[in-house]
Amino acid sequence: MIQLKIDALKPGMVLAQSVYNQQDLLLLERGTALTKKRIWMLKTWGVDRVSVKGQSQKDAASVSEVEFETRHSIERELRARFADVIAEPVMQAIMQAAGRHLQKRLTDPDTPDEST
Amino acid sequence: MKALDLERVIARIDDLPTLPRTVLRITELVNDPKSSARDLARIITDDQVLAARLLKLVNSSFYGFPQRISTITGAIVLLGFDAIRNLLLTTSVFDLFSNRKKISVIRQEQFWDHSLGCAVAAKVIGNHLRYDRVEELFVAGLLHDIGKIVEMIFLPEIFKDINRMVKDKNILMITAEETVMGYGHPEVGKLLAERWKMPPKLITVISHHHQPSAAGRFAFEAAIVHLADILCRALNIGYAGDNKMPALDRTAWDNLRIRTDAIEPLLTTIHKEFDDISLFISYTP
Repeated sequence: MIQLKIDALKPGMVLAQSVYNQQDLLLLERGTALTKKRIWMLKTWGVDRVSVKGQSQKDAASVSEVEFETRHSIERELRARFADVIAEPVMQAIMQAAGRHLQKRLTDPDTPDEST
Repeated sequence: MKALDLERVIARIDDLPTLPRTVLRITELVNDPKSSARDLARIITDDQVLAARLLKLVNSSFYGFPQRISTITGAIVLLGFDAIRNLLLTTSVFDLFSNRKKISVIRQEQFWDHSLGCAVAAKVIGNHLRYDRVEELFVAGLLHDIGKIVEMIFLPEIFKDINRMVKDKNILMITAEETVMGYGHPEVGKLLAERWKMPPKLITVISHHHQPSAAGRFAFEAAIVHLADILCRALNIGYAGDNKMPALDRTAWDNLRIRTDAIEPLLTTIHKEFDDISLFISYTP
């Protein structure tokens, strides 16, 4: 676990501790994977540093371990979510397309997609 | 648990906040064929908050106009009357329900994200199918789950039971609603939409987003919002109150004639547009 300033956060990093505001309202839960939007939200909420998983800033940013975990959790979450409807071929196609898209996005969240 | 009388819900909905007067006046004006862009501009300019919000929106990357639009009249000419009415209706509806202390900030924010995600998805699907009134789809997506907000605010005890059941059994919220109340959020949302005199198309889409093929003359629009809901859940955009996928209405899907290899590009576009717009009309606790 490492404490980082908001500006050092990168999408894909995972919160090691829950984030609260001044009034002790829970903003983001421990284990939440950061996205561009969530980092932006933390900024607008006035949070200046958070704890993320990893040993060093470089480690947290290169996210090898975290990324592996996230990749797996994408698969796992999709399967759990689709469990009751997977017999429908269209739903299966949607699940697979979502899996491919989410993995791609994880690899390079900042690159605009050419297919749009 | 005994089934609740829908009448009781209707009675409570009498206490629901009404729409802001400005939005009602705009709705009247849009329905009047004799009104001009200038009439509309005058009403909007009177309301500083709406005016600022409108300009922020038309200048967002969501619309992608090349040059900066700095006047309300300019915005009206570019977007059209209906689009303006829909935009203002939408943002006003969510203002009414925001800032309820009982519900956690994160919960409200995630619910808003689910609604906004569906709005964007419905618009993207509409564009893909060359539907000419995508603005209506956007609003329908945004409001499709409005019944859940009514339950959250006006039936808090029952809503708590529903949520407990969703969590314990890991089921869809609509399944829990049917068990606890005897009806679901589409019916509750329909009541609100009727009371607020929303257009018939919008009322029908709200009441049929789980069974779109039964939506009669608005079956196509309902099918789009139905699919939008499913795609948003697949992308895990926001949180609609449960962790399950709704059953696909296969007839509705077949009527849309979307090829399965178009799904991934659709998802990519939805995600990108969602990221763009959520910075502009994000939920503020």
